[in-house]
Amino acid sequence: MLTAIVFLPAVGAILMALLARSDRQVRFLSLLITLSVLVLALVVWATIDLDDPNPQWVQRYQWISAFDVQYFLGVDGLSAPLLGLTGLLGVAAVLISWGIKHRTREFFFWLLILQTGITGVFVSLDLLLFFMFWEVELIPMFLLISIWGSGRREYSAMKFLLYTMLSSALMLAGMLVLYFSAGTFDMIALRDAPPSIALITAPGVFFLLLAAFAVKLPVWPFHTWLPDAHTDAPTAASVMLAGVMLKMGAYGIFRICISLFPEVARDYSDLLVTLAVVSVLYGAVMVFRQHDLKRLIAYSSISHMGFVLLGIASLGQVGMTGAAMQMFAHGTITAMLFMVAGLVYEKAHTRHIPDLGGLASRMPLLTIAFMIAGLAALGLPSMSGFVAEILIFLGSFGVYREATILAMFGLVLSAGYILWTAQRVFFGPEKPRFAAIGDVTLVEAAPLAGMIAAIMVVGIYPSFVTDFFDAGLAPIVDLLGAAGG
Amino acid sequence: MGMEWAWLLPAVCTGAFVVVAALGRWLPGRGSLLAIGAIGTAFVLFWFVMADVVGNGPGSFSRAWFDSGDLTVRLGMRVDKLAIVMLGLVSAVSLAVQVYSLRYMRGDPRFGWYFALHSLFAASMLALVLADNLLVFYITWELVGLGSYLLIGFWWERRSASEAAKKAFITTRIGDVALLIGILVLFKATGTFELSQIFAMAQAGEISQTTINLSTVLIFIGAAGKSAQFPFHVWLPDAMEGPTPVSALIHAATMVAAGVYLVARMAPLFVLAPGVLDLVAFIGLTTVFIGAALAMVQTDIKRILAYSTISQLGFMMLALGSLGFTAAIFHLLAHGFFKALLFLGAGSIIHAMHERQDIREMGGLRSRLPATWVAFVIAGLALAGIFPLSGFFSKDDVLFSVLDNRGVVWFAAGLIGSVLTALYVARLLYLVFLGEPRSQAAREAREAPLGMTLPVMALMAPAAGLGLLALAWGDYDGFGSFLVFLPFGSRPFEFHGAVFWPSLALAFSAFLMGLSMYRQTGGVAPALVRRRIPWLLTALDNKLYLDHVYQWTVDHVVLVGSRLVALFDRAVVNDAGVDATGRATRWSGLVLRYHETGLVSTYMLTIAVTAMVIVLIVITTG
Repeated sequence: MLTAIVFLPAVGAILMALLARSDRQVRFLSLLITLSVLVLALVVWATIDLDDPNPQWVQRYQWISAFDVQYFLGVDGLSAPLLGLTGLLGVAAVLISWGIKHRTREFFFWLLILQTGITGVFVSLDLLLFFMFWEVELIPMFLLISIWGSGRREYSAMKFLLYTMLSSALMLAGMLVLYFSAGTFDMIALRDAPPSIALITAPGVFFLLLAAFAVKLPVWPFHTWLPDAHTDAPTAASVMLAGVMLKMGAYGIFRICISLFPEVARDYSDLLVTLAVVSVLYGAVMVFRQHDLKRLIAYSSISHMGFVLLGIASLGQVGMTGAAMQMFAHGTITAMLFMVAGLVYEKAHTRHIPDLGGLASRMPLLTIAFMIAGLAALGLPSMSGFVAEILIFLGSFGVYREATILAMFGLVLSAGYILWTAQRVFFGPEKPRFAAIGDVTLVEAAPLAGMIAAIMVVGIYPSFVTDFFDAGLAPIVDLLGAAGG
Repeated sequence: MGMEWAWLLPAVCTGAFVVVAALGRWLPGRGSLLAIGAIGTAFVLFWFVMADVVGNGPGSFSRAWFDSGDLTVRLGMRVDKLAIVMLGLVSAVSLAVQVYSLRYMRGDPRFGWYFALHSLFAASMLALVLADNLLVFYITWELVGLGSYLLIGFWWERRSASEAAKKAFITTRIGDVALLIGILVLFKATGTFELSQIFAMAQAGEISQTTINLSTVLIFIGAAGKSAQFPFHVWLPDAMEGPTPVSALIHAATMVAAGVYLVARMAPLFVLAPGVLDLVAFIGLTTVFIGAALAMVQTDIKRILAYSTISQLGFMMLALGSLGFTAAIFHLLAHGFFKALLFLGAGSIIHAMHERQDIREMGGLRSRLPATWVAFVIAGLALAGIFPLSGFFSKDDVLFSVLDNRGVVWFAAGLIGSVLTALYVARLLYLVFLGEPRSQAAREAREAPLGMTLPVMALMAPAAGLGLLALAWGDYDGFGSFLVFLPFGSRPFEFHGAVFWPSLALAFSAFLMGLSMYRQTGGVAPALVRRRIPWLLTALDNKLYLDHVYQWTVDHVVLVGSRLVALFDRAVVNDAGVDATGRATRWSGLVLRYHETGLVSTYMLTIAVTAMVIVLIVITTG
C-alpha cells in the first residue's frame, strides 16, 4: 500500500510521458494519479490504529544485504497526516498548474516525480532509504525552478540545490557514523537500542543530522535559499516547497534527531529555542521590507517555521503536538497563500505590491481566499493556525517563559503584515490598469476550496489531526522522559 | 427551553452568517431577512434563558474539544446573571441596529455581505459573554475583533476605511497578545482554563500573589485594548469609517463592551490584586478626561460620539477599579442603549444631511427632524446623567462606589468628568438642533423614513427608563442585588445625598451653562478658551499627538528596524555568507577544472567527496 502511494506518481509519470497524446491528456492523467494517491493516503490515515505505537502498514524487504540496507516503509500517527497533506497538495499543485503551456508534459512529469520523493521521506524507516528519497526530490525541484520559474530562476535554483546538497552531505556523514556505530540503518532498531557512538561524540552526530533539517526547515541563519527559491519557482513548486518540503525538515528533527538522541536534544534545547525565537521575529520583521508578494509570503514562512522549532524545543507532549499541528496547518495555509499569489501574478501580470491595489472589486473570490488564508496565518481562532500556535505556546510557556513571550510578539507582527498586505493588494480604489481582469475560474477555485476546507475543519474540530500527532509523538515524548528532565 | 440551550443564541447567528455569506445573493432581501430573523430568534430565546436562570440559578455546561497529552481543552459556557445581562444587551441592540440597517444600507452593492457580517459579529459577542473558560474567551474575543475589522473596513474601496480597520485590529491585537500571555501565566500556575477552578484556587491562596498581580495586569491590558482605554483608545475614533449603524453596534453592545465585561468577569481575581485595581481606576479616570476633552473640540458628529464613548468606558473602568463591579455593568448596560440611540440618531441626521457629518454645517434641525430630536434629547440627557433617565442611575452608582472605596479626591475628579460630559452634550445638542441652520443641506433636511425611526423609537424606552432596573420593586431587589459579585454580597441601589445632589446639580448646571455659552458665542469652540489657552486647543485638535507618536513608532522603529534587518539579511547572511561561499567554491571548481562537467555528476561528486572527507576526519580524529 505504501509502496503504491510512494511510487504511483513516479510510475504514472513515466507512463504518462510515454503514452499521453496531448497536453490535455497529460493534465487529466496527472490529476487522476494525484487523486488516486490522495484517496490511498486518506485510507491509510483513516485506518491507523492509534493505540499501537509501532509503525503500521509496514513493508520491509532486505535490499542491499551487504550493508544491511532495507526497503522499510511504515506509517504512524506522526507521518500519516503528513502523508495526507502531501496527497492533498499534490492534487492542488496539479490543478493550479492547469494553465501551464510551456513544455507541459515535462512539467507534470517532474511534478509527479517530486511527489514521489516527498512522500517517500515521510514513510521511510530506514536511514539510507530516507536519504535517497531526500535526495530524489532535489532534481525535479531544481528543474521546476530553473525551467518554469521567473526572475533570477537559474541563480535561485542553483542556490537551492547547492545549499540542500551540502547540508545533506552532512546528514549522510551523520548517518554513516550511526551505521558504523550500530551496524544498521534501521531507524526503529536505532531508536530502541541506541548505539554508543564510537567515532565522534553523540552531539556531533546530532548536529550533522540537524544541519540538513535546519536548512530545510529553514532555521535562521540557514534560510536565505528559501526567499529566492520560493519567489522564482512556479506556483506549483512554491506550493510543494512551502507546503510539504519545509515540513520534511521538522519531520526529520522529530523522527531522527530527537528520536535517536533524546539526551542531546535536551542538552541543546536552549540553543534550539534561541534559534526559534530569532527565526520568528527575524522572518516577521523581514516581511515588512518585501515588495514582491511571493517573497513576502516566503519570509512569513520563515517566521512560522520558527514556531515549529519553538514547539519542538519545548520537548513536551503539548508543545511538540503543537509543532506538528503547525506543520500541518502551515502546509495548507501557506500553500494557499502561494496559490493566491500565483493567481494574482497570472491575472495582473505583476507581483510588485506597490503596483497592485483595489483588486477586490475585480476578484472578490480571490480576495476572500486571501483573507481566509491570511487570517489563518495570523492565528485567528476557528482556523487551523490558531490551534497549532496555542498548543505551541501552552507547551513552551512552562519551559521557556521569556522566549515564548518574545515569540508571541510575532503574533502582532503577523497581524500587521497580513493586513497591510491585504490592504495594499486588494483594498483601496480600483486601478484602471486592472479594469479588465477577471476572477478565478472553476479549476483555479477548486484547490483553493480544498485548502479552505482543510483549514476550517482542523480549526473547528482539531481532534481529526491532533489525536494522530499526539499518538505519534507519544513514544518520542517517552524517550525524552527516559532521557531525564 | 432553558439555559442549557443558551448556546443556541450564538449558534443561530453563526448559522445565519454562513448561509447569508454563501448564498446571500439568492435569498430574499439578499439574506438580510434571514440575518434579522436569526438575531430576532436570539432575542426571543434570551427571555427564556433569563427566566430559567432567574428561577433556577446559574448553570455551567461544557464538552471536550480536543486534547494533547494531559491537556484537555474544553468548550464550555456558563449561564449566570452577568451573562444574561450581556445577552440581553447584545441581542436587543443588535436587533435594533440590523432593522435600522435594512433601510439605511439600502442600495449598497454589498448589502447581503453587510448582514452576514452583522450575524458574525453578534454571534461572536454572544459566544464571548457565555464563555466559561479563558481559552474560549480568547477565541471569541479574537472573533469579535475580526467582526469589527470587517465591518469597519466594509467600504474597503476607501483608503481611510481600510486603514481604520487595520488600525483597529492591530491596536487591539497588542492587547490581545497581552491577554494571551496573562492566560498562559494563569494556566502555568493552575493547570486549568476554567474560571471557576481558577477563582477557587485563588481564594484558597493556592496562587502566588505575584502570579495574580502579573496575570491581572496582563488581562487588564487586553481589556484596555478592546475597551479603548488610554493609551489604546486611538483606534475607536477612526473606526467611524464604518457605516454608522456599525458604529452604533461597536460602541454600544459589542467590541468595546468586551473589555469591561472581561474585567467584571474576572472580578474574583482582581479583588485579590489591590495594586492592579489602583491601576485600573487610574487608567479609567485618565480615559474619562481625555475622552471628554477631545469630545469637546471635535466637529464631526460621529467623532464627538466616539470620544464620548471612550470617556464613558473610562467611567466603567473607574468603577471596576473602585470595586463597583455592579455599577460598571449597569453603566455598560445603560450606556449601551443610550449610545446606540445616539448613533442611530446620528445616522438619521447624516442621512438627512446627505452624508455630511460636520456639525458646523448643521443647526436648527429640531424642527426639521422632530423624532430624531426627541431621541437625541433623551439619549443626550441620559449621557449627561440627568434624573430620571437611565444614565443618571448608572453614573450615580459609579460615583458612589468611587466615593465609597476611593475617597473624596477621586470622587471630585469623577464629578469633574461628569461636568465635562454635560458640557459636550450641551454643545452637541445646541450646534446640531438649535440656533439657525448653517447650510443649505441643514435647511432642506428631511426626517428619516419610518424604517429608520422605528428602531430609534424602540431604543428610546430603555434609554429613558432603564433606571427602573436599579430600584427595588416587588420581588425584585434592584440591580445591585440581582447581580451579585462574590465576595461582596448584594448592595441595592440607594439615593445617597452626598452623591445625588452634587452630581445632579453639577451636571444640570453645566448643561445649562453649556447651552447658554453656545447661544451667546455661537462658535464651535468657545472663543474664551481659544484666546486664553490656545496651546490646549492645539493639543486637543491634534488628539494630544498620540497618533503622531504611534505613527512615528511604526515608521521609525518597526520599518527602519526591518530595513536594517533586511540589509543585514542580504549583505551579511546572503551575499557575504552564502554567495561568497558559492563564489569561492566555484572558483576552486574552475581551478580544479571540474567546471564543465554536467550538473548531476558534479552533484554526486560533491556529495561523495564531502561525505568521505568528513568520515575520514571523523575516523582519524576519533
